[in-house]
Amino acid sequence: MLKPIITGIVFGILAICSIPLNAQEKYEKESRLKAKDVPSEALGFISSLEVPGKMRWYFEEGIERNSVEAKFKYNNEKYSIEFDTLGNLEDIEIKIKWKHLQKTLKDSITAQLLEDCKKFKIQKVQIQYSGDRSILLSKIKTGESTGNYIVRYEIVVKCSKARDVALFEYLFSHTGQQLSVSKIIFKNSSNLEY
Amino acid sequence: MNTNRLFLLIFSLYLSFSNAALAQNSYLAGGLPSVNFNYKLKKAWSVNFKLESRQLLKAGVFTDNSDINYEYVLTDYSFITAKKIGLNSKISGGYLIRFRNGEVIHRLIQQYTITQKLSRFRLSHRLVTDQTISPVEATEYRLRYRLASEIPLNGESVDPQECYLKISNEYLNSLKNRDYDLEVRLVPMFGYIINEHHKIELGLDYRVKSFLDQNTRHSFWTCLNWYIEI
Repeated sequence: MLKPIITGIVFGILAICSIPLNAQEKYEKESRLKAKDVPSEALGFISSLEVPGKMRWYFEEGIERNSVEAKFKYNNEKYSIEFDTLGNLEDIEIKIKWKHLQKTLKDSITAQLLEDCKKFKIQKVQIQYSGDRSILLSKIKTGESTGNYIVRYEIVVKCSKARDVALFEYLFSHTGQQLSVSKIIFKNSSNLEY
Repeated sequence: MNTNRLFLLIFSLYLSFSNAALAQNSYLAGGLPSVNFNYKLKKAWSVNFKLESRQLLKAGVFTDNSDINYEYVLTDYSFITAKKIGLNSKISGGYLIRFRNGEVIHRLIQQYTITQKLSRFRLSHRLVTDQTISPVEATEYRLRYRLASEIPLNGESVDPQECYLKISNEYLNSLKNRDYDLEVRLVPMFGYIINEHHKIELGLDYRVKSFLDQNTRHSFWTCLNWYIEI
């Protein structure tokens, strides 16, 4: 009878000792959003696209700002459209294949990646459109440009350096100039390992 | 493999083993609480300390009543050191000490894990070899493979203050005194992330072994896992 009591005490002591002293937490969270909770401006934009399949809405809480995101398939392509919390369109991202990019653009991006990484592998490429709402809507629906808009490329890269390997998210301009880069932090996976 | 297919596979595995439970087979049922401490070190190293205790509440054959009410079985303390060797993979090595009925049992553990982030859930493959050394029994050598999936119940990944399902299926090949045995485990768990330092999981750990020699033993453990990141 003594052993379970000792075990219980050890559990308790270890648990108490484990309370972190420097509880500085990174706050980044995405959760599903019901269509009824989506800002009407955002719903209006999506409904004018007349997407035939399933639509998934997400609310993203970041450190500096929050956003609303719609994810769906349209014309056999994977779309991700981001809005601010009022429903104003921020950007449209479409998953594309690396091999479909123009050679000059690929060369410019590759040159940058070779500078940053000893070895790299491109994992995901998205073309990102931003600009006027009605211009972008007609660009997506008909493929025709009725005005100016901004084109950028968001690229997820597995980058190996001398001692480490990590995933990075790059943003490049339409000419292949690097605009930003951030390291993707993996979520803790101890519950899948032990 | 999509989530529906995974569910179907696990469910059919469960059904195929639950049919066998109707025969004159023995069973054990009880509790298996554990606490896991994880600590990140520099240069891609990390350590894990796990404390797990086993309590038996019922035991017997399926057609008879149990003659056990409560019995403390054992406590395991394990210490594992891991090194990240790729983007998603780790190799680890460790030692487990088990206290059972006044006996002290030692186990050496070698482990390799790959954790993949797929678009809607995470999948982890774990390959383990271990050697269990007991003062009264022959050394047991095991080769284990576990597939575990973590399925968020809200959004595309599990964030703090969100729930998830974790389903794992493990196959344990054992060799002791030249006798081979296969144990299969199916562990459905319901999890909740309290914050970045604490995760809680509650579920069932179902194990079936010795079914190859018609002497099947089923075990049903109620698990309460607490994962702590220090």
